[in-house]
Amino acid sequence: MSEFILEMHNISKSFAGVQALKDVSIRCRPGQVYGLVGENGAGKSTLMKILAGAYKADSGEIIYKGQLREQATAGEIIESGISIIYQELALVPEMSVAENIFLGREPRRALGVLNLKELHQRAAALLKRLGITPNTRMPISELTVAQRQLVEIAKALSQDADLIVMDEPSAILAGNELDQLFQIIESLVEQGVAIIYISHRLEEVFRIADEVTVLKDGELVDTRPIEQLDRAMLVEMMVGRPLDEIFPQTQHEQGELVLVAEDISTDTILTSASLELYAGEILGIAGMVGSGRTELARALFGADPLTGGRIRLVGVDGATWSNPAQAIQSGLVLVPEDRKAHGLFTALSVRINVTIPILRRLTRFGIVRGAEEEAVVERARERLSIVMASADQETQYLSGGNQQKVVLAKWLETDPTVVILDEPTRGVDVGAKFEIYKLMRQLNDRGIAIVMISSELPEVIGMSDRILVMNDGRIVGEVGQDEATEAGIIALATMSNSEANGQ
Amino acid sequence: MSIAKPYESASGASNWRMRKFIADFGVYIALAVLLLAATVLTPKLFEVNTIAVVMRQASQLGIVAIGQTMILLVAGLDLSIGGIFLMTSIVVADVTNGRDEMVLPAILIALALGALIGAGNGVLVTKRRVPPFVATLGMLVLVKGATQAYTKGVPGGFVPDVLGIVNQSWFVLSIPLLLWLGLNAFFIFVLRRTSYGRKVYAVGSNIEAARLSGISVDVIRISVYILGSCLAVASGVVLTGYVGYVDRFIGTGLELDSIAAAIVGGTAFVGGRGGLLGTIAGVLIIQLLSTMALLMGLDIEVQFIIKGLVILGAVTLYSLAETES
Repeated sequence: MSEFILEMHNISKSFAGVQALKDVSIRCRPGQVYGLVGENGAGKSTLMKILAGAYKADSGEIIYKGQLREQATAGEIIESGISIIYQELALVPEMSVAENIFLGREPRRALGVLNLKELHQRAAALLKRLGITPNTRMPISELTVAQRQLVEIAKALSQDADLIVMDEPSAILAGNELDQLFQIIESLVEQGVAIIYISHRLEEVFRIADEVTVLKDGELVDTRPIEQLDRAMLVEMMVGRPLDEIFPQTQHEQGELVLVAEDISTDTILTSASLELYAGEILGIAGMVGSGRTELARALFGADPLTGGRIRLVGVDGATWSNPAQAIQSGLVLVPEDRKAHGLFTALSVRINVTIPILRRLTRFGIVRGAEEEAVVERARERLSIVMASADQETQYLSGGNQQKVVLAKWLETDPTVVILDEPTRGVDVGAKFEIYKLMRQLNDRGIAIVMISSELPEVIGMSDRILVMNDGRIVGEVGQDEATEAGIIALATMSNSEANGQ
Repeated sequence: MSIAKPYESASGASNWRMRKFIADFGVYIALAVLLLAATVLTPKLFEVNTIAVVMRQASQLGIVAIGQTMILLVAGLDLSIGGIFLMTSIVVADVTNGRDEMVLPAILIALALGALIGAGNGVLVTKRRVPPFVATLGMLVLVKGATQAYTKGVPGGFVPDVLGIVNQSWFVLSIPLLLWLGLNAFFIFVLRRTSYGRKVYAVGSNIEAARLSGISVDVIRISVYILGSCLAVASGVVLTGYVGYVDRFIGTGLELDSIAAAIVGGTAFVGGRGGLLGTIAGVLIIQLLSTMALLMGLDIEVQFIIKGLVILGAVTLYSLAETES
């Protein structure tokens, strides 16, 4: 048997004429972590879906544990020891932790009756291996996103996985949760498990990967040991050009006060939050996942009704709102965190997506004026360099970065005074990230105030003029740009009783 | 930016265009195949009189299917249509009692009651969050019960003679057909070119994104249910004129046939996808199947089996096309 647990040789795959992968080869040894990086559309997901059996490669071969793998079903592949943890977690919210871990493979007694005792014992043992001791009877819906991810990992372990693929595991984690994930990865590696780690966050790749494979436009750029790489080289390999400045800076004075929120609470974790927002600034909101950042954004936008406190726009008489429609009227927009669930109409065309909030402007007697609509869509495409086949293309066929640009374009057309961005660069490749940063600065220059929520601390620190740190539903501190450090923000974000977060 | 090519490769573009074409017009290919089969199986179908009858009946189903399609587009469903037909029929007979001059008031009253029923469906679905299946099924039972309580089981009144005009054909043209075509033209325009139509698709495609985009999603959904009920009233008037008396079982089965027509025509059960062009073909397919089965002298059971197979086949094909992407 060879030293490699997995060898994928010369894998090619095209979808109706579009080459998604061309002659890509990777090899993995047991007990090592492989970083798989590349921009969106580079072919990472396609490659992993071929590994998982979701797609069939057009050519190339997969040798797993020394044997040529024939066409197999997803179930047989899991059986053979390959587990894939997707970014969109695949857990049943209503079922318990233990039931989810052993879904479809529950320990049974005679006549197929479930052995609940063994179920919970084995689940607890697995979770202990991950260094956590949660209640295995708790329904998944009660867990935080980070905890759910741990359950996914436990599920992979329960399948005796020898190879675990993690697709952007950190996208939904922050700070100490990430540390915990890395500890788990390290212990898995010690146990001889091979890990393929897909991430947009290069810091993480440098932290845990032994070897890094870079894909670009469906082709293999290179595979190198991590010691032979530095950040700039890696970025250059991914983007195909050096990335001079990641966070574009502009000089500007603090503008006028535009929005005041006083002691706002909603029916969520958000408790008594107050903030002031000034024209032309970026107000960063940092904090762990589940600390109430998204809830703050939704409250500001009127998406969740306030149970206390008030929000007003300064200088606009009587500008209050209690639902998104009124908020948009008042000049606020929200680019939500979960693009596909809350931001985009995936089955509808770019045209319809972009013009939805400004139909009033584009219609006469309720009838859409075609020429003006065309002009709006064309302007949006140019301004944000959206890559699309036509304005009639359904947005589900666009890449993540382009989808995000469509959402941004849609909101910019409303000519807002306040833009709330919830994780604006999540799942977006390096090139598109840079474009989004540039766009944010352009908005600032036009006097637009931005509230930016982000789990990526370098991004928060690099882009924000001021940073509010949230913890357990409250705003626990404000940090200016000059004094902001990752350590300082993490300290604020993890103070007090939030240690329970990682459990 | 170096990564920003203005347009994607031509093959990628034609790929989704092809899929879109099949989704939009695949049902017309099926319709053509059916017609081709009819030339061999039931050549009688192509006689002017038969065509006129087929088109008249297709119109009755088609007018309902317009509303059903729009309700499906907002991820809803309307099973209460049979009740609306019965209500319409009774109102027409009761209010006019055979007097031609009372037809217009009767239709207006039926439309008002229909709007009320639609609003009830819409409010249950939106404000009370009752699943559309349950809400409209409950409404069906409620409306049928209410009409029977009103008539004490014995419908009175007479259908005015003037409504018999729906049975007249000029060549293949008839009032129901013109009404169907006119309503289709109107609502196709509404769905494609008006902000209301855009909002209907947006709500059906992603209700939370629609809400966050400032659309009053409940207003849109309730309005679509009201439209659907009013269209059912329109079809009910036509059918009442066709039958000529108050039939307790009038319109039974049209709720399912209208759903089938929309689905066969490519409108997605989960909302946001599809449209009236597809539904027109779906209606014609469903109607042709019935007529052809009749012409071939097949038993009613066999008709149902064929209809069922066609619906299942269509749904399977659409889901295959979906997973292909």
